[in-house]
Amino acid sequence: MNVGQTFLTVGVALGLACASAVAVIVIAKLRRVRVGARAKAMLAPHRGALIVMASGEDEDGQALAALCAVPAPIWARLRSGVVAFLPKVRGVPAEDLGGLMRSHGEIDEARRMLTSRSAVGRARAAYLLGLVRDVDSVALVVTLLSDPAADVRMVAARALGTIGDPSAASGILQALRTSHGHIGLPAWVAAEALLAMGTEVGPALELGLTSSDPAVRNVCAVVAGHGTYFTAAPQLRILLVTDSDADVRASAAVALGRVGGAGDAALLARYAEASETTVLRRTCAAALGELGHRESLETLTGLLGDRDRRLAQLAADSLVRFGSDGIARLQEAAGTTTPGPNARAAGSALELAGLRGQLVSVPGS
Amino acid sequence: MVTELVKTRIVVADDDQDILDLVVFKLTQAGYDAVPVTDGVAALAAIESGLPRLAILDVMMPGLSGMDVLRKVRANEATKDLDVILLTARARDADVDAGFATGASDYVIKPFSPRELMHRVNAVLARGDR
Repeated sequence: MNVGQTFLTVGVALGLACASAVAVIVIAKLRRVRVGARAKAMLAPHRGALIVMASGEDEDGQALAALCAVPAPIWARLRSGVVAFLPKVRGVPAEDLGGLMRSHGEIDEARRMLTSRSAVGRARAAYLLGLVRDVDSVALVVTLLSDPAADVRMVAARALGTIGDPSAASGILQALRTSHGHIGLPAWVAAEALLAMGTEVGPALELGLTSSDPAVRNVCAVVAGHGTYFTAAPQLRILLVTDSDADVRASAAVALGRVGGAGDAALLARYAEASETTVLRRTCAAALGELGHRESLETLTGLLGDRDRRLAQLAADSLVRFGSDGIARLQEAAGTTTPGPNARAAGSALELAGLRGQLVSVPGS
Repeated sequence: MVTELVKTRIVVADDDQDILDLVVFKLTQAGYDAVPVTDGVAALAAIESGLPRLAILDVMMPGLSGMDVLRKVRANEATKDLDVILLTARARDADVDAGFATGASDYVIKPFSPRELMHRVNAVLARGDR
């Protein structure tokens, strides 16, 4: 075989391989379209009942009864449509859709799947139990917080947040710890789950604020602030003053800005002083604006000329939050005859406030 | 004497077919003339040609976002007074603030209660404050 024939043979072989690949792709696509169309046709008679249920219009329970009665082969296809609706609605429709899932044995199956050998299976099961807000499964889902797979632990935490049973709060806080070679739950996942549980997690938070683990203290401080747990304020003060972890102190300062009282203005001002770390000073300057006590006006005005320009900017933004009194201070600083760094910080804060429409009610602005 | 009842027209825009079907069903049940569209460009066209009383817009849609549609509606003399409810999964305070600052009449966060949405629709229409 000469060189030309070899090239020809290779070319033909390559051409045939490409043609076969294209044919396989086309056949697979056609098959998928046909299967999809068949499934859609099979589900079409039930779509109306599903919409009635999801819209909360099934007052006589006819749609629920009809969907509970569909045979297993149709349910196998309809199931994904029901699951797709669950995260989109809340209230009575969500409860009804959960009841439909239960009637087809999906909840029992999900509970069984929590111990599946497949991590995907365990995660899907926890996700579903969260979607239907199955309070009876909380204890089972909590066990997944120590799952070997990090993704399963995160799905379980989110599911517990969605279910909203505060009895799971301590389990979530425990899952923040790194143990048995497993990296702890990410702080933001834990915080979101705890916030979703509502005000009843208060006692677990207060306990968590005294934990020996800084990750737990930090998340509890963040949640105490965002969830406005006023009862946590005394412990937050202790953390701001004495904690050995810089992140915990900063989170405690942020939280005190939200839940603190008049006395906390002096405390936050103390930690905005030059002898403190940059992060804590900036956090306290922002927290003073959040707290909004008049006695902070002097401190914040003083910070406008600070060497740390970011800190000066945060102090200026905090002054804007005070309304007319704070803005008057900024105007005074911006209008000085010898413009320095404090005038620049005040000027840019006023400019931004103007763009946001925050200067409307201030006389002389 | 024949009395012609003109139904209140509401444009509903969402690229999620489930949400679209659900909201349209709920509005139709309540006696409104619901016009479903699946993207921002079609929503703007339906608003400009149909001159509805209200538009319910998803924020994240292909083509024009709900916020883009809202801006264009407010900038157009013929549609600037249209009531608009934003229906979205974007639940941060900053998102809600941005929605109202752009001129939304109301802001509903997904997952939503269809019943609550209807109360909001009725309230916005009754208010007629735009």
